[in-house]
Amino acid sequence: MTLFLQTILNGLVLGGIYSLAAVGFSLVFGVLGIVNLTHGIFVIAGAYGALLLFKQFGIDPLVAIVPIGLVLFVTGYVYQRTIIQWAVSRASLVASLVVTFGVAMMARNGLQLVFGPDVHTITPAYSFMSVTFGPLRIDVVRIVALGASLVLLVVLALVLARTHFGRAIRATAQQPLAAELSGLNVRNLHGLTFGLGAAMAGASGAIIGIVQPFTASSEVAWTLNAFIVVVLGGIGSPAGALVGGLLLGLINALTAQYVGPSLTQAAMFLVLVLMLLVRPAGLLGNAFGESR
Amino acid sequence: MNRTLALLLGAIVIIAAALLPIWIGPFYTRVIQLFFFSAGLAIAWNILGGFSGYWSFGHTVFIGMGAFAAAHIAPNLGLIGTGPMSMLVAILLAGLFCGLFAAILAYPILRLRGIYFAIAMLGVSQVAGELVNNVGWFKGGIGVFLQTPLPAGMATEDFFYYIFGALLLLCFIISMAVRNSRFGYALLSIREDEDTAMMLGVATERYKIMAFVLSATLVGILGAVYGYSVGYFTTYTVFRLDLSLNLIVFCLIGGIGTLFGPIVGTAIMLFITQVLLSRFLDIHLLITGAIVVVIILLMPGGMIGALRKWRRPKERSSTVTAEASA
Repeated sequence: MTLFLQTILNGLVLGGIYSLAAVGFSLVFGVLGIVNLTHGIFVIAGAYGALLLFKQFGIDPLVAIVPIGLVLFVTGYVYQRTIIQWAVSRASLVASLVVTFGVAMMARNGLQLVFGPDVHTITPAYSFMSVTFGPLRIDVVRIVALGASLVLLVVLALVLARTHFGRAIRATAQQPLAAELSGLNVRNLHGLTFGLGAAMAGASGAIIGIVQPFTASSEVAWTLNAFIVVVLGGIGSPAGALVGGLLLGLINALTAQYVGPSLTQAAMFLVLVLMLLVRPAGLLGNAFGESR
Repeated sequence: MNRTLALLLGAIVIIAAALLPIWIGPFYTRVIQLFFFSAGLAIAWNILGGFSGYWSFGHTVFIGMGAFAAAHIAPNLGLIGTGPMSMLVAILLAGLFCGLFAAILAYPILRLRGIYFAIAMLGVSQVAGELVNNVGWFKGGIGVFLQTPLPAGMATEDFFYYIFGALLLLCFIISMAVRNSRFGYALLSIREDEDTAMMLGVATERYKIMAFVLSATLVGILGAVYGYSVGYFTTYTVFRLDLSLNLIVFCLIGGIGTLFGPIVGTAIMLFITQVLLSRFLDIHLLITGAIVVVIILLMPGGMIGALRKWRRPKERSSTVTAEASA
């Protein structure tokens, strides 16, 4: 029983991180309709950024979220307004998928050239502490990571629900033409949404860096995780990302514990395929309705 | 270009290709052998992805299945023994097995469209790869051997050069036959607008499954031969994510949905990566990625599409060069 509870707890903690790592992908997919295969690069770039700031200046990864988020926001904005915008207007929405794939290949190679192929981890002072709740045990870093993920998700949800900027994003997602007629600058908003997604991914990367080891090539896994989370939870909303992320974390932990640690990938994809067949819009559905 | 001229040109190309290994060294024989293999795969992918618009991101599952099926079939053929006949039978059975698997898989998975189909196929290939790797019976983790019954006095690279060459020719002929048949037009109509096609009485379900099975069978056969050509392989020799994605890149560069596109694209990409950049292994991804991005932005129809546009500038995108809407 203790083992089961411990597994569940581990799964939920892991799931919180998956949620944060996927929410940007979900937002971009929901608002722009683009499957951004560069997403994992943003996550890993965030992790490398946090590593760099930690090693060079001793900045805590959680503090580093702010500068990393800002840099990735700008990067994401420029990237969307140039390459992705061009791909969508000159070729098609599907072509943008391949373009992001190409950029991801370049970026992965670039990261490998700069940081080398070694596996890295970020180890702040609190990384070896843990707390116990009765028989259950959990690392402090994981609690910190989960807490930071939840805070960021709530902030994003509030921004989308309560601010003018959030309303504009939702309007653009529902009816781009109507939004434009109402005086919104849709192209600019698309860029901003993309930047926001990239910033969230970078923030999650900084958190992932303290919890898990990473290399440049783990970007593929994070892109795929984001996709699975979106398919499980539903497109476009922080709540969907949270539900999908937690589910994925649980599936991962339970499979590793009770079936075999080498089969987690297979289990995740099996659930993905089944989910696609049964309910492709995800448990919570598309946050932006049938507009697309 | 009229028919006789095309046939004549084709014959010349085939004869030239057949004589080529005499002059070039073993290294280039292997490079061209790799080209034949990759182009065959790209053509097979193109039958499904190019004609019907169903982009599969996990076609490597059929390469892996074909190779492993052959490895498990070849030693158990009993009466046929281990001669050249056994290789042929094993390869054909492996192809058949992949086709069968695809036929079963098709019912659920072809209900998905666009990006969802693409990612679901990626999922299928990952699951299959992990199962082959972790279930002891498949021996994916420790690897399997496939002995080639080589004809006496023939170099290995020459032997596989001819086999892959013949398979490429086979794939091309099948692809051409499909493209010019009722089946091919049905696939094109599915790509352009599946719902309308269905409404107009095209049996979309059946044609999609046929294309899927055909594509899987061809890839399975190629995978089985690839298994023979490497001799010993583990899961990750054949279930390779990068192979799945390379196929798409090859088709994309040449022109998705065209007959010659996959061949042209494969030739260009392999020339760049294997010949020009063979010494710069650490920036292969960078170059490949850059080529993909530039091609999409500058010539969304691929090389063939760009050529068509250049020859007929007035015509706006014809049906063949129209972007594969998935």
